[in-house]
Amino acid sequence: MTRMNRDRRSLIRAVAGLAALSAVGCSAAAFAQSEGPIRIGLIYSKQGPGAAIGQYLQRGSELAVEQAGRKVLGRPIELVWLDEPNPQVSQQNMQRLVDENKVVAVVGGNYSSSALAMMSVANREKIPLILTGAAASEITGKSCSRYTFRTQATVPVQMRGLMPYVSQIGKKVYFLTASYAFGQDILRSSRALLKENGATEVGVDEVPINTADYSSYILKIRQAKPDVIVGGLVGGDFSNFMKQWNEMGMKDKIPYAAIAVTDTDFWDVGPQASTGIFVKPWYYNNPKNTEVEKKMMADFTKKYNEPPSDKTWSGWIGMRALLESIEAAKSTDAKAIVSQLEKWKNTEGEIPFFFRDWDHQMVRPAVIVGVKKQITDKWDYFDVLKNTSDSEADTAKAFGTKEEVGCPMPAL
Amino acid sequence: MLDTLVSQTANGLVLGFVYVLIAVGLSITFGLLGVINFAHGAFFALGAYVAWQLYQLFGWWAVILAPPIVGVVGMLIEVTIIRRLYGKEPLLSLIVTFALALLIEALIRYGWGADGKPFNPPPFLTGIVEVGPLLITKYRVAVFGVTITTLLALWAFLVWTPYGRVLRAGSRDPEMVELLGINLPRVLTAVFGLGCALAAIAGLLAAPLWTVSPSMAANAVMPAFVVVAIGGLGSLRGAVVAGLAVGVVTSLTIQFWPEAAAASMYVLMFAIMLIRPRGLFGERWERFE
Repeated sequence: MTRMNRDRRSLIRAVAGLAALSAVGCSAAAFAQSEGPIRIGLIYSKQGPGAAIGQYLQRGSELAVEQAGRKVLGRPIELVWLDEPNPQVSQQNMQRLVDENKVVAVVGGNYSSSALAMMSVANREKIPLILTGAAASEITGKSCSRYTFRTQATVPVQMRGLMPYVSQIGKKVYFLTASYAFGQDILRSSRALLKENGATEVGVDEVPINTADYSSYILKIRQAKPDVIVGGLVGGDFSNFMKQWNEMGMKDKIPYAAIAVTDTDFWDVGPQASTGIFVKPWYYNNPKNTEVEKKMMADFTKKYNEPPSDKTWSGWIGMRALLESIEAAKSTDAKAIVSQLEKWKNTEGEIPFFFRDWDHQMVRPAVIVGVKKQITDKWDYFDVLKNTSDSEADTAKAFGTKEEVGCPMPAL
Repeated sequence: MLDTLVSQTANGLVLGFVYVLIAVGLSITFGLLGVINFAHGAFFALGAYVAWQLYQLFGWWAVILAPPIVGVVGMLIEVTIIRRLYGKEPLLSLIVTFALALLIEALIRYGWGADGKPFNPPPFLTGIVEVGPLLITKYRVAVFGVTITTLLALWAFLVWTPYGRVLRAGSRDPEMVELLGINLPRVLTAVFGLGCALAAIAGLLAAPLWTVSPSMAANAVMPAFVVVAIGGLGSLRGAVVAGLAVGVVTSLTIQFWPEAAAASMYVLMFAIMLIRPRGLFGERWERFE
């Protein structure tokens, strides 16, 4: 009996203690929200095949914070960076940022699958999320969300920029795409554009993710004798293919055209094997870059002794949009930040860009680049050929109409 | 059609040989030490990075030093960490070597950076060889040659040298070997180093074909485990036959049924496991039953 009493007493004490502790925790968090530093979450890959991309994205976001004097609303900014290894863990990390770190917003998400998983948390917890990668159409299409904004152009938009170029090279097209949502998105949108551009499909291979050896695919392509290859491989898969394409003596035989590549893919491959025509959101050595972008490049190069990749730009512009919107909202309230992001507009360049209020897609032309014939610089691999669109009206048209995009934007 | 078939098979064999090299290292470590080394892929990546560094510093011929260097690193790790796992639960060695894999990957990233390193075949090995219907690159022929030489040397070492006999005896009856006055712990250290050096040779050969990045082993380790399972744990002969089978089956599936390319080797493994649960050449080992 005594023993039971003692047990019960200690249990009650423990519960009381726990309650007291959590009360302290709550008030500390409340204090942090209104007085202390403003915490912003980052979700970028720290390990695995996406680590290099994650690093450049993070450096871009970090640089935007530094350029803002590490302050927003007069309060210090604290960045909390968690990993983006796969959709499940990215989603858990998003939840952790909200529950444990009490962030006011999150910038991150390079992979469409992770991005979609993170969006569900952003929605439920009402936390603004700015996606700096993730090209799948549905993110700002049928799965669009009031709390999510995306900087990267969708697959169909990028393909629409690239296909006229492809058809200039030749009419017989071979597709080599990744066998998941991203690759299928490329296949779907390019097939629709083939007819418009008078081209035909002579072969297609959907390659499983993490394929190490491409020799069998390359032999098939040789056999099919296409004029041009439209690719949809990313990261390590793309670099592996490019190396083996060169190794098998195909480099200057059949041109390769693709979207959603990043500078680090080519830096990994090296000048000897790099080839092709690509659509990228940004290129550091583009004479048309704005003064602010040039300053970003200078600051980055000074700090890391190498030029920024397009991923750096994405991480940077995503964070800038967020910080500027928090300043404009004069508050860390999620709804106020979302309203300001919807009004945010960058007018530093020839063509202003912004997040469209009805689908939260950043409307901005990408650049089409070609690998230089002779690469002499360690970092500078491309000649900028042109923008995917040349006027504000054409850009808006390229990103599609409300009906084409099909975003049922929920109320705030 | 014939020329495509011949070329596909030849390229499949080369891919298979790279898998064999990775799998043999895994298989030896397991067969002789009883440790399933999840960090094997990390030593593969380390081999590629050390080779890249040596190439940058001293030129092409220095890359042959990469496997011995990685072997020595492996031996140091055996003495400090792996040794404690002998005779313990297999689960423990899985967890520890998995942690080791993450640690080595992180150290590579810390030391060499997260970006990949450009690495292409040496100039004297670039170009294509066309013999009748067969089309293959010079570099792949070299990979073929190096792998066969390595495997023959390994086989000769295990079968014909006194040291090889100690290894094989030690794997079956360690107590008896120690009773004969042989310093078994030292032998086991060398075995682990040998396994790591084999992984490094595979990494070195794969470096001009695959991107040299900290996680480059991710694509290679899974096939290697499949090869070991098909061939039979601890069997050198099994690893060779299984590796070649996986390589050829994968490339022919890509030619004729590309949708099934990723699944083909698992289907092969499944079929073999149904018929021979210990793998093609797996024997009954008293220690592991």
